Amino acid sequence: MTSSVAAVWRSRGVLGLLVRRDLTVKYQQSVLGYLWSLIEPLSVAATYWFVFGVLFQTRASTDGVPYLLFLASGLFAWIWVSGVLGAATTALTTQARLITTIKVSREVFPIGRVAGTFFEYVAALPVLLLIAIFYHGRFGPYLLVLPLAVLIQLVFLVGVSLLLASLNVMLRDVERVVRLLQRVLFYALPIVYPLDLVMSAPLPRWVEVVYQLNPLVGILELHHAVWTENFPSAALVVTSVVGSLIMFLGGWWVFHRLEPSVLKEL
Amino acid sequence: MDDAIIEADGLGIRFVKNRRRNLKLREYFVQGGKRRLRVDEFWALRNVSFKIKAGDAVGVIGKNGTGKSTLLKLIAGVLFPDEGSIVTHGRVAPLLELSAGFSNDLTGRENVQVVGALHGMNRAELKEKVPKILEFAEIPGFHDTPVRHFSTGMRVKLGFGVIAHLPHPILLVDEVMAVGDKDFRQKCYKTIEQMLGEGRTLVIVSHNEADLRRFCNRGLYINSGILEVDGPIDEALAAYNGLVRT
Repeated sequence: MTSSVAAVWRSRGVLGLLVRRDLTVKYQQSVLGYLWSLIEPLSVAATYWFVFGVLFQTRASTDGVPYLLFLASGLFAWIWVSGVLGAATTALTTQARLITTIKVSREVFPIGRVAGTFFEYVAALPVLLLIAIFYHGRFGPYLLVLPLAVLIQLVFLVGVSLLLASLNVMLRDVERVVRLLQRVLFYALPIVYPLDLVMSAPLPRWVEVVYQLNPLVGILELHHAVWTENFPSAALVVTSVVGSLIMFLGGWWVFHRLEPSVLKEL
Repeated sequence: MDDAIIEADGLGIRFVKNRRRNLKLREYFVQGGKRRLRVDEFWALRNVSFKIKAGDAVGVIGKNGTGKSTLLKLIAGVLFPDEGSIVTHGRVAPLLELSAGFSNDLTGRENVQVVGALHGMNRAELKEKVPKILEFAEIPGFHDTPVRHFSTGMRVKLGFGVIAHLPHPILLVDEVMAVGDKDFRQKCYKTIEQMLGEGRTLVIVSHNEADLRRFCNRGLYINSGILEVDGPIDEALAAYNGLVRT
Protein backbone atom coordinates (compact mmCIF):
# COMPACT_ATOMS: atom_id res chain seq x y z
CA MET A 1 0.00 0.00 0.00
CA THR A 2 2.70 2.48 0.96
CA SER A 3 4.55 1.84 -2.29
CA SER A 4 1.46 2.51 -4.36
CA VAL A 5 0.74 5.65 -2.37
CA ALA A 6 4.27 6.74 -3.17
CA ALA A 7 3.71 5.94 -6.84
CA VAL A 8 0.60 8.08 -6.89
CA TRP A 9 2.48 10.88 -5.17
CA ARG A 10 5.17 10.70 -7.85
CA SER A 11 2.45 10.97 -10.48
CA ARG A 12 1.02 14.15 -8.97
CA GLY A 13 2.24 16.12 -11.97
CA VAL A 14 0.25 13.81 -14.19
CA LEU A 15 -2.71 14.22 -11.88
CA GLY A 16 -2.59 18.00 -12.19
CA LEU A 17 -2.33 17.68 -15.92
CA LEU A 18 -5.32 15.36 -16.23
CA VAL A 19 -7.46 17.58 -14.04
CA ARG A 20 -6.48 20.66 -16.01
CA ARG A 21 -7.24 18.81 -19.22
CA ASP A 22 -10.67 17.68 -18.01
CA LEU A 23 -11.56 21.17 -16.91
CA THR A 24 -10.31 22.68 -20.16
CA VAL A 25 -12.42 20.32 -22.22
CA LYS A 26 -15.42 20.98 -20.01
CA TYR A 27 -15.15 24.75 -20.17
CA GLN A 28 -14.07 24.99 -23.79
CA GLN A 29 -17.11 23.20 -25.08
CA SER A 30 -19.61 25.48 -23.39
CA VAL A 31 -20.29 29.13 -24.08
CA LEU A 32 -20.67 30.18 -20.47
CA GLY A 33 -17.62 28.24 -19.29
CA TYR A 34 -16.73 29.00 -15.69
CA LEU A 35 -20.09 30.62 -15.06
CA TRP A 36 -21.68 27.18 -15.08
CA SER A 37 -19.85 26.39 -11.86
CA LEU A 38 -21.87 29.23 -10.31
CA ILE A 39 -25.16 28.94 -12.17
CA GLU A 40 -25.67 25.29 -11.33
CA PRO A 41 -25.36 25.44 -7.53
CA LEU A 42 -27.16 28.78 -7.43
CA SER A 43 -30.21 27.61 -9.34
CA VAL A 44 -30.42 24.38 -7.37
CA ALA A 45 -30.11 26.32 -4.12
CA ALA A 46 -32.81 28.74 -5.23
CA THR A 47 -35.17 25.87 -6.06
CA TYR A 48 -34.76 24.13 -2.72
CA TRP A 49 -34.92 27.41 -0.89
CA PHE A 50 -38.27 28.10 -2.53
CA VAL A 51 -39.70 24.67 -1.76
CA PHE A 52 -38.34 24.03 1.70
CA GLY A 53 -37.60 27.52 2.96
CA VAL A 54 -40.56 29.47 1.64
CA LEU A 55 -43.28 26.87 1.20
CA PHE A 56 -42.47 24.48 4.05
CA GLN A 57 -41.00 27.13 6.33
CA THR A 58 -38.07 24.94 7.38
CA ARG A 59 -35.96 26.52 10.08
CA ALA A 60 -32.25 25.82 10.19
CA SER A 61 -32.09 25.76 13.95
CA THR A 62 -32.92 27.91 16.88
CA ASP A 63 -29.76 30.00 16.64
CA GLY A 64 -31.09 32.19 13.90
CA VAL A 65 -28.95 31.25 10.92
CA PRO A 66 -30.94 32.10 7.79
CA TYR A 67 -32.24 29.01 6.03
CA LEU A 68 -30.69 29.96 2.70
CA LEU A 69 -27.21 30.04 4.22
CA PHE A 70 -27.79 26.76 6.03
CA LEU A 71 -29.07 25.19 2.82
CA ALA A 72 -26.28 26.51 0.60
CA SER A 73 -23.48 25.38 2.93
CA GLY A 74 -24.76 21.81 2.84
CA LEU A 75 -25.90 21.86 -0.74
CA PHE A 76 -22.59 23.00 -2.20
CA ALA A 77 -20.78 20.24 -0.33
CA TRP A 78 -23.38 17.80 -1.57
CA ILE A 79 -22.92 18.91 -5.17
CA TRP A 80 -19.29 17.95 -4.80
CA VAL A 81 -20.24 14.51 -3.47
CA SER A 82 -22.81 14.03 -6.18
CA GLY A 83 -20.33 15.16 -8.83
CA VAL A 84 -17.79 12.60 -7.66
CA LEU A 85 -20.40 9.84 -7.64
CA GLY A 86 -21.28 10.67 -11.22
CA ALA A 87 -17.77 11.22 -12.53
CA ALA A 88 -16.01 8.39 -10.71
CA THR A 89 -17.90 5.58 -12.38
CA THR A 90 -16.60 6.55 -15.81
CA ALA A 91 -13.11 7.55 -14.65
CA LEU A 92 -11.48 4.42 -16.05
CA THR A 93 -13.85 3.49 -18.85
CA THR A 94 -13.54 6.81 -20.67
CA GLN A 95 -9.74 6.79 -20.38
CA ALA A 96 -9.38 3.25 -21.68
CA ARG A 97 -7.16 4.28 -24.57
CA LEU A 98 -4.68 6.07 -22.39
CA ILE A 99 -4.70 3.36 -19.75
CA THR A 100 -4.11 0.56 -22.22
CA THR A 101 -1.09 2.15 -23.86
CA ILE A 102 0.73 4.00 -21.12
CA LYS A 103 1.99 2.75 -17.84
CA VAL A 104 0.91 5.20 -15.17
CA SER A 105 -0.45 4.75 -11.70
CA ARG A 106 -4.00 3.93 -12.57
CA GLU A 107 -5.20 5.53 -9.34
CA VAL A 108 -4.65 8.97 -10.79
CA PHE A 109 -7.73 8.70 -12.98
CA PRO A 110 -10.34 8.29 -10.22
CA ILE A 111 -8.42 10.63 -7.92
CA GLY A 112 -8.32 13.15 -10.75
CA ARG A 113 -12.10 13.11 -10.93
CA VAL A 114 -12.29 13.95 -7.23
CA ALA A 115 -9.85 16.80 -7.74
CA GLY A 116 -11.74 18.11 -10.76
CA THR A 117 -15.05 18.26 -8.91
CA PHE A 118 -13.25 19.75 -5.92
CA PHE A 119 -12.17 22.69 -8.04
CA GLU A 120 -15.75 23.27 -9.06
CA TYR A 121 -16.71 23.25 -5.40
CA VAL A 122 -14.01 25.82 -4.70
CA ALA A 123 -15.18 27.85 -7.68
CA ALA A 124 -18.66 28.08 -6.15
CA LEU A 125 -17.40 29.05 -2.67
CA PRO A 126 -17.47 32.81 -3.39
CA VAL A 127 -21.24 32.49 -3.81
CA LEU A 128 -21.48 30.95 -0.35
CA LEU A 129 -19.39 33.77 1.06
CA LEU A 130 -21.61 36.35 -0.62
CA ILE A 131 -24.71 34.76 0.89
CA ALA A 132 -23.00 34.73 4.27
CA ILE A 133 -22.05 38.41 4.00
CA PHE A 134 -25.49 39.37 2.84
CA TYR A 135 -27.56 37.44 5.41
CA HIS A 136 -25.21 36.83 8.24
CA GLY A 137 -22.64 39.54 8.27
CA ARG A 138 -20.08 37.98 10.59
CA PHE A 139 -17.25 35.50 10.29
CA GLY A 140 -16.07 33.83 13.43
CA PRO A 141 -13.36 31.33 14.25
CA TYR A 142 -15.78 28.64 13.09
CA LEU A 143 -14.65 29.41 9.55
CA LEU A 144 -11.73 27.13 10.42
CA VAL A 145 -14.12 24.19 10.57
CA LEU A 146 -14.49 24.40 6.80
CA PRO A 147 -10.99 23.09 5.95
CA LEU A 148 -11.55 20.24 8.42
CA ALA A 149 -14.84 19.32 6.76
CA VAL A 150 -13.26 19.52 3.31
CA LEU A 151 -10.33 17.32 4.37
CA ILE A 152 -12.52 14.55 5.80
CA GLN A 153 -14.73 14.77 2.74
CA LEU A 154 -11.72 14.52 0.44
CA VAL A 155 -10.50 11.32 2.09
CA PHE A 156 -13.98 9.85 1.91
CA LEU A 157 -14.48 10.78 -1.72
CA VAL A 158 -11.13 9.42 -2.89
CA GLY A 159 -12.14 6.07 -1.38
CA VAL A 160 -15.54 6.22 -3.05
CA SER A 161 -14.03 7.17 -6.36
CA LEU A 162 -11.47 4.34 -6.38
CA LEU A 163 -14.17 1.87 -5.45
CA LEU A 164 -16.70 2.97 -8.04
CA ALA A 165 -14.25 3.45 -10.89
CA SER A 166 -12.85 -0.07 -10.64
CA LEU A 167 -16.14 -1.78 -9.88
CA ASN A 168 -17.86 -0.12 -12.80
CA VAL A 169 -15.44 -1.66 -15.28
CA MET A 170 -16.40 -5.11 -14.11
CA LEU A 171 -20.06 -4.47 -13.49
CA ARG A 172 -21.73 -1.78 -15.51
CA ASP A 173 -24.70 -1.97 -13.15
CA VAL A 174 -22.73 0.22 -10.78
CA GLU A 175 -23.55 3.22 -12.91
CA ARG A 176 -27.27 2.72 -12.38
CA VAL A 177 -26.93 1.98 -8.70
CA VAL A 178 -25.01 5.20 -8.33
CA ARG A 179 -27.67 7.23 -10.08
CA LEU A 180 -30.23 5.82 -7.67
CA LEU A 181 -27.91 6.46 -4.75
CA GLN A 182 -27.49 10.09 -5.75
CA ARG A 183 -31.20 10.70 -5.38
CA VAL A 184 -31.74 8.68 -2.22
CA LEU A 185 -28.68 10.01 -0.43
CA PHE A 186 -29.74 13.58 -1.01
CA TYR A 187 -32.73 13.11 1.26
CA ALA A 188 -30.89 10.76 3.60
CA LEU A 189 -28.53 13.55 4.57
CA PRO A 190 -29.10 16.71 6.56
CA ILE A 191 -28.95 19.06 3.58
CA VAL A 192 -32.38 20.60 3.19
CA TYR A 193 -33.36 19.88 6.81
CA PRO A 194 -31.37 20.15 10.03
CA LEU A 195 -30.18 17.04 11.82
CA ASP A 196 -32.22 18.00 14.91
CA LEU A 197 -35.35 17.28 12.93
CA VAL A 198 -34.28 13.66 12.48
CA MET A 199 -33.33 13.33 16.12
CA SER A 200 -36.63 14.72 17.34
CA ALA A 201 -38.73 12.70 14.90
CA PRO A 202 -40.61 9.70 16.30
CA LEU A 203 -38.13 7.17 14.92
CA PRO A 204 -36.88 3.96 16.47
CA ARG A 205 -33.46 4.33 18.07
CA TRP A 206 -31.75 2.05 15.57
CA VAL A 207 -32.86 4.19 12.63
CA GLU A 208 -31.19 7.19 14.22
CA VAL A 209 -28.00 5.19 14.75
CA VAL A 210 -27.94 3.86 11.20
CA TYR A 211 -28.65 7.33 9.87
CA GLN A 212 -25.69 8.77 11.72
CA LEU A 213 -23.34 5.96 10.75
CA ASN A 214 -23.15 7.47 7.27
CA PRO A 215 -19.86 9.40 7.33
CA LEU A 216 -21.41 12.06 5.12
CA VAL A 217 -23.82 13.05 7.91
CA GLY A 218 -20.94 14.17 10.12
CA ILE A 219 -19.21 15.85 7.19
CA LEU A 220 -22.32 17.84 6.31
CA GLU A 221 -22.86 18.79 9.94
CA LEU A 222 -19.35 20.20 9.95
CA HIS A 223 -20.15 22.20 6.82
CA HIS A 224 -23.24 23.59 8.56
CA ALA A 225 -21.28 24.26 11.74
CA VAL A 226 -19.16 26.82 9.91
CA TRP A 227 -22.20 29.11 9.93
CA THR A 228 -24.42 27.82 12.72
CA GLU A 229 -21.37 27.82 15.02
CA ASN A 230 -22.85 24.75 16.59
CA PHE A 231 -20.12 22.10 16.51
CA PRO A 232 -21.52 18.57 16.03
CA SER A 233 -21.09 16.02 18.80
CA ALA A 234 -17.69 14.38 19.14
CA ALA A 235 -19.25 10.97 18.47
CA LEU A 236 -20.59 12.16 15.14
CA VAL A 237 -17.26 13.66 14.07
CA VAL A 238 -15.34 10.55 15.11
CA THR A 239 -17.82 8.39 13.21
CA SER A 240 -17.30 10.36 10.05
CA VAL A 241 -13.50 10.40 10.40
CA VAL A 242 -13.35 6.66 11.01
CA GLY A 243 -15.93 5.98 8.33
CA SER A 244 -14.02 8.05 5.80
CA LEU A 245 -10.76 6.26 6.58
CA ILE A 246 -12.47 2.89 6.19
CA MET A 247 -13.92 4.04 2.89
CA PHE A 248 -10.51 5.22 1.76
CA LEU A 249 -8.70 2.01 2.67
CA GLY A 250 -11.53 -0.14 1.37
CA GLY A 251 -11.64 1.71 -1.93
CA TRP A 252 -7.90 1.44 -2.27
CA TRP A 253 -7.95 -2.26 -1.50
CA VAL A 254 -10.74 -3.04 -3.97
CA PHE A 255 -9.02 -0.99 -6.64
CA HIS A 256 -5.83 -3.00 -6.29
CA ARG A 257 -7.63 -6.27 -6.06
CA LEU A 258 -9.47 -5.57 -9.30
CA GLU A 259 -6.66 -3.83 -11.16
CA PRO A 260 -5.38 -6.85 -13.16
CA SER A 261 -8.90 -7.79 -14.24
CA VAL A 262 -9.81 -4.20 -14.97
CA LEU A 263 -6.86 -3.87 -17.32
CA LYS A 264 -7.87 -7.01 -19.18
CA GLU A 265 -11.36 -5.70 -19.51
CA LEU A 266 -10.58 -2.24 -20.86
CA MET B 1 26.70 -11.44 -17.56
CA ASP B 2 23.28 -10.05 -17.10
CA ASP B 3 22.49 -7.17 -19.38
CA ALA B 4 18.97 -8.24 -20.22
CA ILE B 5 16.67 -5.26 -20.44
CA ILE B 6 13.44 -7.25 -20.62
CA GLU B 7 13.13 -10.54 -18.79
CA ALA B 8 10.07 -12.73 -19.02
CA ASP B 9 9.86 -15.80 -16.89
CA GLY B 10 7.06 -18.33 -17.28
CA LEU B 11 4.72 -15.61 -18.41
CA GLY B 12 1.06 -16.53 -18.64
CA ILE B 13 -2.15 -14.58 -18.90
CA ARG B 14 -5.68 -15.82 -18.93
CA PHE B 15 -8.72 -14.25 -20.54
CA VAL B 16 -12.38 -15.07 -20.35
CA LYS B 17 -14.26 -15.49 -23.58
CA ASN B 18 -17.76 -15.49 -22.25
CA ARG B 19 -19.84 -12.36 -22.53
CA ARG B 20 -21.13 -12.66 -19.02
CA ARG B 21 -17.60 -12.67 -17.67
CA ASN B 22 -18.21 -9.71 -15.44
CA LEU B 23 -20.71 -11.38 -13.23
CA LYS B 24 -18.27 -13.57 -11.35
CA LEU B 25 -17.33 -10.71 -9.12
CA ARG B 26 -16.84 -12.86 -6.06
CA GLU B 27 -13.90 -14.62 -7.66
CA TYR B 28 -11.91 -11.44 -7.85
CA PHE B 29 -11.96 -11.15 -4.11
CA VAL B 30 -11.64 -14.73 -3.04
CA GLN B 31 -7.96 -15.41 -2.97
CA GLY B 32 -6.15 -18.72 -2.83
CA GLY B 33 -7.89 -22.04 -3.16
CA LYS B 34 -7.48 -24.16 -6.20
CA ARG B 35 -9.02 -22.19 -9.00
CA ARG B 36 -9.55 -24.51 -11.84
CA LEU B 37 -9.73 -23.22 -15.34
CA ARG B 38 -13.29 -22.54 -16.22
CA VAL B 39 -14.49 -23.75 -19.59
CA ASP B 40 -14.94 -20.26 -20.87
CA GLU B 41 -11.37 -19.24 -20.09
CA PHE B 42 -8.32 -19.57 -22.23
CA TRP B 43 -4.66 -18.79 -21.91
CA ALA B 44 -3.66 -16.03 -24.28
CA LEU B 45 -0.07 -16.71 -23.38
CA ARG B 46 1.49 -19.46 -21.32
CA ASN B 47 4.97 -20.46 -20.21
CA VAL B 48 6.61 -17.72 -22.19
CA SER B 49 10.17 -17.07 -21.10
CA PHE B 50 12.77 -14.98 -22.85
CA LYS B 51 15.42 -12.39 -22.26
CA ILE B 52 15.92 -9.41 -24.47
CA LYS B 53 19.25 -7.65 -24.37
CA ALA B 54 19.66 -3.93 -24.59
CA GLY B 55 19.97 -2.88 -28.21
CA ASP B 56 18.12 -5.88 -29.55
CA ALA B 57 15.46 -5.44 -32.19
CA VAL B 58 12.94 -8.19 -31.72
CA GLY B 59 10.17 -9.03 -34.15
CA VAL B 60 7.15 -10.82 -32.74
CA ILE B 61 5.34 -12.89 -35.31
CA GLY B 62 2.42 -15.24 -35.39
CA LYS B 63 -1.07 -15.57 -36.68
CA ASN B 64 -3.85 -13.22 -35.65
CA GLY B 65 -5.13 -13.78 -32.16
CA THR B 66 -2.14 -15.70 -30.88
CA GLY B 67 -1.12 -13.26 -28.19
CA LYS B 68 1.34 -10.95 -29.90
CA SER B 69 -0.33 -7.74 -28.84
CA THR B 70 -0.97 -9.17 -25.41
CA LEU B 71 2.74 -9.77 -25.07
CA LEU B 72 3.51 -6.17 -25.94
CA LYS B 73 0.95 -4.99 -23.41
CA LEU B 74 2.55 -7.13 -20.74
CA ILE B 75 5.95 -5.64 -21.56
CA ALA B 76 4.43 -2.18 -21.50
CA GLY B 77 3.03 -2.89 -18.04
CA VAL B 78 -0.55 -2.16 -19.01
CA LEU B 79 -1.58 -5.76 -18.35
CA PHE B 80 -0.58 -7.88 -15.37
CA PRO B 81 0.37 -11.53 -15.88
CA ASP B 82 -1.59 -14.21 -14.06
CA GLU B 83 1.48 -16.40 -13.94
CA GLY B 84 5.18 -15.80 -14.03
CA SER B 85 6.77 -12.40 -14.14
CA ILE B 86 8.07 -9.81 -16.49
CA VAL B 87 10.73 -7.33 -15.53
CA THR B 88 11.91 -4.37 -17.54
CA HIS B 89 15.10 -2.53 -16.65
CA GLY B 90 14.50 0.87 -18.06
CA ARG B 91 11.57 3.00 -18.94
CA VAL B 92 9.18 1.88 -21.62
CA ALA B 93 7.87 4.32 -24.20
CA PRO B 94 4.09 4.26 -24.80
CA LEU B 95 2.91 1.30 -26.73
CA LEU B 96 2.36 2.46 -30.27
CA GLU B 97 -0.75 0.86 -31.68
CA LEU B 98 -3.49 1.95 -34.00
CA SER B 99 -5.38 4.13 -31.53
CA ALA B 100 -2.03 5.51 -30.33
CA GLY B 101 -3.49 6.16 -26.88
CA PHE B 102 -5.01 9.47 -27.85
CA SER B 103 -8.28 10.68 -26.43
CA ASN B 104 -10.80 11.61 -29.07
CA ASP B 105 -12.01 14.82 -27.50
CA LEU B 106 -8.63 16.48 -27.34
CA THR B 107 -6.82 18.09 -30.21
CA GLY B 108 -3.64 16.69 -31.66
CA ARG B 109 -1.57 19.25 -29.80
CA GLU B 110 -3.28 18.60 -26.46
CA ASN B 111 -2.90 14.87 -26.83
CA VAL B 112 0.80 15.22 -27.50
CA GLN B 113 1.09 17.36 -24.39
CA VAL B 114 -0.78 14.85 -22.26
CA VAL B 115 1.16 11.84 -23.48
CA GLY B 116 4.43 13.73 -23.29
CA ALA B 117 3.74 14.88 -19.74
CA LEU B 118 2.64 11.40 -18.74
CA HIS B 119 6.11 10.35 -19.77
CA GLY B 120 7.87 12.77 -17.59
CA MET B 121 8.49 15.68 -19.92
CA ASN B 122 8.54 18.86 -17.92
CA ARG B 123 7.09 22.14 -19.04
CA ALA B 124 10.23 23.39 -20.76
CA GLU B 125 10.70 20.14 -22.63
CA LEU B 126 7.08 20.12 -23.69
CA LYS B 127 7.36 23.63 -25.00
CA GLU B 128 10.39 22.68 -27.02
CA LYS B 129 9.33 19.23 -28.21
CA VAL B 130 5.63 19.57 -28.94
CA PRO B 131 6.13 21.70 -32.08
CA LYS B 132 8.80 19.28 -33.26
CA ILE B 133 6.52 16.31 -32.77
CA LEU B 134 3.70 18.02 -34.64
CA GLU B 135 6.05 18.88 -37.45
CA PHE B 136 7.41 15.35 -37.56
CA ALA B 137 3.89 13.95 -37.87
CA GLU B 138 3.29 15.88 -41.11
CA ILE B 139 -0.32 16.69 -40.44
CA PRO B 140 -0.39 20.40 -41.28
CA GLY B 141 -3.65 22.13 -40.50
CA PHE B 142 -4.80 19.45 -38.07
CA HIS B 143 -2.78 20.38 -35.01
CA ASP B 144 -5.78 21.90 -33.28
CA THR B 145 -8.41 19.51 -34.58
CA PRO B 146 -9.87 16.94 -32.18
CA VAL B 147 -8.26 13.57 -32.76
CA ARG B 148 -11.75 12.18 -33.34
CA HIS B 149 -11.55 13.59 -36.86
CA PHE B 150 -8.14 12.10 -37.59
CA SER B 151 -7.68 9.21 -39.94
CA THR B 152 -5.96 6.10 -38.61
CA GLY B 153 -2.84 7.01 -40.54
CA MET B 154 -2.75 10.49 -39.04
CA ARG B 155 -3.08 9.14 -35.54
CA VAL B 156 -0.26 6.74 -36.06
CA LYS B 157 1.94 9.45 -37.53
CA LEU B 158 1.36 11.58 -34.48
CA GLY B 159 1.91 8.65 -32.15
CA PHE B 160 5.12 7.81 -33.90
CA GLY B 161 6.19 11.41 -33.60
CA VAL B 162 5.75 11.26 -29.84
CA ILE B 163 7.74 8.08 -29.51
CA ALA B 164 10.49 9.36 -31.75
CA HIS B 165 11.00 12.28 -29.39
CA LEU B 166 11.00 10.37 -26.12
CA PRO B 167 14.31 9.27 -24.64
CA HIS B 168 12.98 5.95 -23.31
CA PRO B 169 15.24 2.96 -23.93
CA ILE B 170 12.47 0.49 -24.73
CA LEU B 171 10.15 0.96 -27.69
CA LEU B 172 7.12 -1.14 -28.47
CA VAL B 173 5.46 -0.96 -31.85
CA ASP B 174 2.31 -2.87 -32.66
CA GLU B 175 1.43 -3.25 -36.31
CA VAL B 176 1.39 0.37 -37.31
CA MET B 177 3.77 0.60 -40.21
CA ALA B 178 1.15 -0.71 -42.59
CA VAL B 179 -1.11 2.32 -42.30
CA GLY B 180 1.37 5.12 -42.95
CA ASP B 181 1.78 6.36 -46.51
CA LYS B 182 4.93 5.64 -48.45
CA ASP B 183 6.78 8.84 -47.62
CA PHE B 184 6.01 8.54 -43.96
CA ARG B 185 7.07 4.93 -43.89
CA GLN B 186 10.44 5.91 -45.25
CA LYS B 187 10.70 8.44 -42.48
CA CYS B 188 9.73 5.82 -39.90
CA TYR B 189 12.37 3.47 -41.21
CA LYS B 190 15.02 6.11 -40.94
CA THR B 191 13.89 7.06 -37.45
CA ILE B 192 13.79 3.48 -36.24
CA GLU B 193 17.23 2.80 -37.67
CA GLN B 194 18.51 5.90 -36.00
CA MET B 195 16.99 4.86 -32.67
CA LEU B 196 18.45 1.40 -32.97
CA GLY B 197 21.75 3.05 -33.72
CA GLU B 198 21.48 4.82 -30.38
CA GLY B 199 21.33 1.42 -28.74
CA ARG B 200 17.66 1.43 -27.92
CA THR B 201 15.64 -1.74 -27.68
CA LEU B 202 12.78 -2.35 -30.05
CA VAL B 203 10.02 -4.91 -29.87
CA ILE B 204 7.84 -4.88 -32.93
CA VAL B 205 4.75 -6.78 -33.99
CA SER B 206 4.30 -6.91 -37.73
CA HIS B 207 3.10 -9.04 -40.55
CA ASN B 208 5.41 -7.39 -43.01
CA GLU B 209 8.38 -9.67 -43.47
CA ALA B 210 10.43 -7.11 -45.30
CA ASP B 211 10.08 -4.70 -42.37
CA LEU B 212 10.99 -7.39 -39.90
CA ARG B 213 14.05 -8.53 -41.84
CA ARG B 214 15.13 -4.97 -42.20
CA PHE B 215 15.26 -4.10 -38.51
CA CYS B 216 15.19 -7.20 -36.39
CA ASN B 217 18.09 -9.34 -35.36
CA ARG B 218 15.85 -11.63 -33.43
CA GLY B 219 12.42 -13.13 -33.81
CA LEU B 220 9.84 -14.57 -31.45
CA TYR B 221 7.33 -16.83 -33.11
CA ILE B 222 4.21 -17.28 -31.06
CA ASN B 223 1.63 -19.88 -31.85
CA SER B 224 -1.54 -20.28 -29.78
CA GLY B 225 -0.01 -18.50 -26.83
CA ILE B 226 3.14 -20.59 -26.78
CA LEU B 227 6.55 -19.31 -27.68
CA GLU B 228 7.66 -21.74 -30.37
CA VAL B 229 10.76 -20.16 -31.78
CA ASP B 230 13.15 -17.75 -30.12
CA GLY B 231 16.08 -17.17 -32.41
CA PRO B 232 17.33 -15.21 -35.37
CA ILE B 233 14.57 -13.45 -37.24
CA ASP B 234 15.01 -15.61 -40.34
CA GLU B 235 14.51 -18.75 -38.32
CA ALA B 236 11.37 -17.38 -36.70
CA LEU B 237 10.00 -16.25 -40.02
CA ALA B 238 10.78 -19.59 -41.54
CA ALA B 239 8.91 -21.34 -38.77
CA TYR B 240 5.99 -19.00 -39.28
CA ASN B 241 5.95 -19.76 -42.98
CA GLY B 242 6.03 -23.43 -42.21
CA LEU B 243 9.26 -23.92 -44.10
CA VAL B 244 11.21 -25.50 -41.33
CA ARG B 245 9.91 -28.72 -39.91
CA THR B 246 11.88 -29.97 -36.99
